[in-house]
Amino acid sequence: MSNVMMDIKNLHAKIGAKEILKGVNLQLEEGKVHAIMGPNGAGKSTLSKAITGHYDVEVTEGEILYKGQNIVDWEPEDRALEGIFLSFQNPVEIPGVNNAYFLRTAVNARRKHLGLPELNAAEFLREMKKLVEELGMKPEMINRSLNEGFSGGEKKRNEILQMMMLQPDLIILDEIDSGLDIDALRAVSEGINKMKDGKRSFLVITHYSRILDYIEPDYIHVLKEGRIIKTAGAELVAELEEKGYGAIEEA
Amino acid sequence: MRPVLLGELTPEEILQELGAAPTKSLAARRLSELKLPTRKSEAYRYFDIEPLMEHDWEILQAPAAIGETERQIVITDGRVTALPSGVEVQVGCSDAIDIDGNHFDPLYYLGHLLSPEVISIRFKQDAKVTLVHRFTRPGRLLAYRTALYLDANVHVQIDERYEGEEACGALILGGYDAFVARDATLTLIKDETLKEGDYTPILSHRIKVDSQAACRLHTFDFGEGAGLQLLRAELHENARIDADHLLYATDHARRGTVSQIVHIGQSSVSEQRAKNILADKARGIFDALIKVEHTGKYAKAHQNSKAILLNDGAYMASKPQLEIYIDDLEASHGSTTGQLDEAQLFYLRSRGIAKEEARKMLILAFANELIDAIGDETLRERIHASFENAYWGATNVTCMETCHGCEDLAAESAAK
Repeated sequence: MSNVMMDIKNLHAKIGAKEILKGVNLQLEEGKVHAIMGPNGAGKSTLSKAITGHYDVEVTEGEILYKGQNIVDWEPEDRALEGIFLSFQNPVEIPGVNNAYFLRTAVNARRKHLGLPELNAAEFLREMKKLVEELGMKPEMINRSLNEGFSGGEKKRNEILQMMMLQPDLIILDEIDSGLDIDALRAVSEGINKMKDGKRSFLVITHYSRILDYIEPDYIHVLKEGRIIKTAGAELVAELEEKGYGAIEEA
Repeated sequence: MRPVLLGELTPEEILQELGAAPTKSLAARRLSELKLPTRKSEAYRYFDIEPLMEHDWEILQAPAAIGETERQIVITDGRVTALPSGVEVQVGCSDAIDIDGNHFDPLYYLGHLLSPEVISIRFKQDAKVTLVHRFTRPGRLLAYRTALYLDANVHVQIDERYEGEEACGALILGGYDAFVARDATLTLIKDETLKEGDYTPILSHRIKVDSQAACRLHTFDFGEGAGLQLLRAELHENARIDADHLLYATDHARRGTVSQIVHIGQSSVSEQRAKNILADKARGIFDALIKVEHTGKYAKAHQNSKAILLNDGAYMASKPQLEIYIDDLEASHGSTTGQLDEAQLFYLRSRGIAKEEARKMLILAFANELIDAIGDETLRERIHASFENAYWGATNVTCMETCHGCEDLAAESAAK
């Protein structure tokens, strides 16, 4: 096994009084694409929230080791600055926050954290416009309020734009394919595939296998009732397609 | 002149003792009917009016000295002290004015009674002017009224500013009577930041919007002090009013808007939006009624108030109301009070933006909706800066935070 970027050990987490994650063990390797699949309510999104420090989720037991450090008590922004990125299943709309201003603030916060010089407005906009074009987004989205009035596809493209600008080390894609038509899915997937550099890790959370036709996974993990019950190679997708989650039993 | 205890004044006494012009008999009669405000008065329920009414006030009557300026009208302690050099504005004084006989605010009438003359500003041509209200005398009662007349089909923008650092403890009974004639447009942008101990403004306005005329009112009230604006607007056939109120109040501020917008004519439109950001022990007030008379068929009336409470001690008194006497219309009202949206805050933080910076972005975003509604870019930038100064004590508004059109150009030229 190559270097482990994230090592999740016996993770228990609850939302409110309900325990959702019941001892998740998962290792994410550097440079690999891991896909987590599972039925509705298995805890897939809760896992992504636990990794990013979402306010809804309380970790009650276990560790999330990222680059060797337990990040369970870290603030969300510290996790992001260290390179963890979550592409949200349903990105919130923030009226009044200019898309470009928001993203420039985020990019420069990360650059500052990495000891890199901050981008001035011209440098930033040049880069942003290039990526906007690559992702097939409308140029006026640069000036619009963050996600406000965006269609489902536009929101997902905007998430990918943020990912490409922020250059994170661990990318979590939570149901990135939901609500995307075929063209949008292709554009988003191309953006994700461009980010593969042999070092960056991906955690693709999905309910359906469609996205995995575009982003080839190295590992498939099945999450069911709050635990990873099976880990295998990409061939597991076909088995899941054929038999469904019900047929998969804990190893 | 002996000090006056406002709470014990009678209209007759004012007419006799203070020498109010006899033409103000309507004001005296209406004041007798409404009575001077107490803590039980509807319009002042959420505002601590009694200490002001129980205070012995010396009434200020300042001498006038008029000079010319480029674009500013300056009213210092109730007297016109500077006038624009152009010909588009006529400024004069009058002791007679068409007083609103149906205003709900007794202090509207008291202001008229105590005001020796009405400063009358007439616009015969399109104009953009700055109107500065300057107060210099501490601890006094200053009452003065301003009348704005817009002739038919004239379009006017007034940038209204308040300067009163020297007038700590003063009570200002002011406000305007605005007459917007047919097809005219009045855009009025008010920016008033009060510090603790500053003067207390009670600004009682009346706006008459004639057929097919429009009024765009943008009020920006920031800071720690106490103050109230009371507004009664009349809309005639096809008339329109857009009234936006942004309040940022801190410390022990008592601040806000009490209003009545009355649809008299057919197909008139009112859009009223209030946004309130309250910190510390501040109290925000939005007590607003939209009334559609039986003559106001096909009116459109919408009213909304949103408040963010930044601390547990902050309080919002929000009371949007509709009073409708017909069936054929479109109307809505709503009010929300809460804290910063946790999901939005998390989204920003999940991108590496520090919590305080994220809060700042969300508060600015909340305020932006009303600031960005100002059409004039220079004024818009100034209000952005004014808000930032009130909120952070400094301003670093960048072009990108607002429109960043010029940064686009810079990027394009750099790319070439």
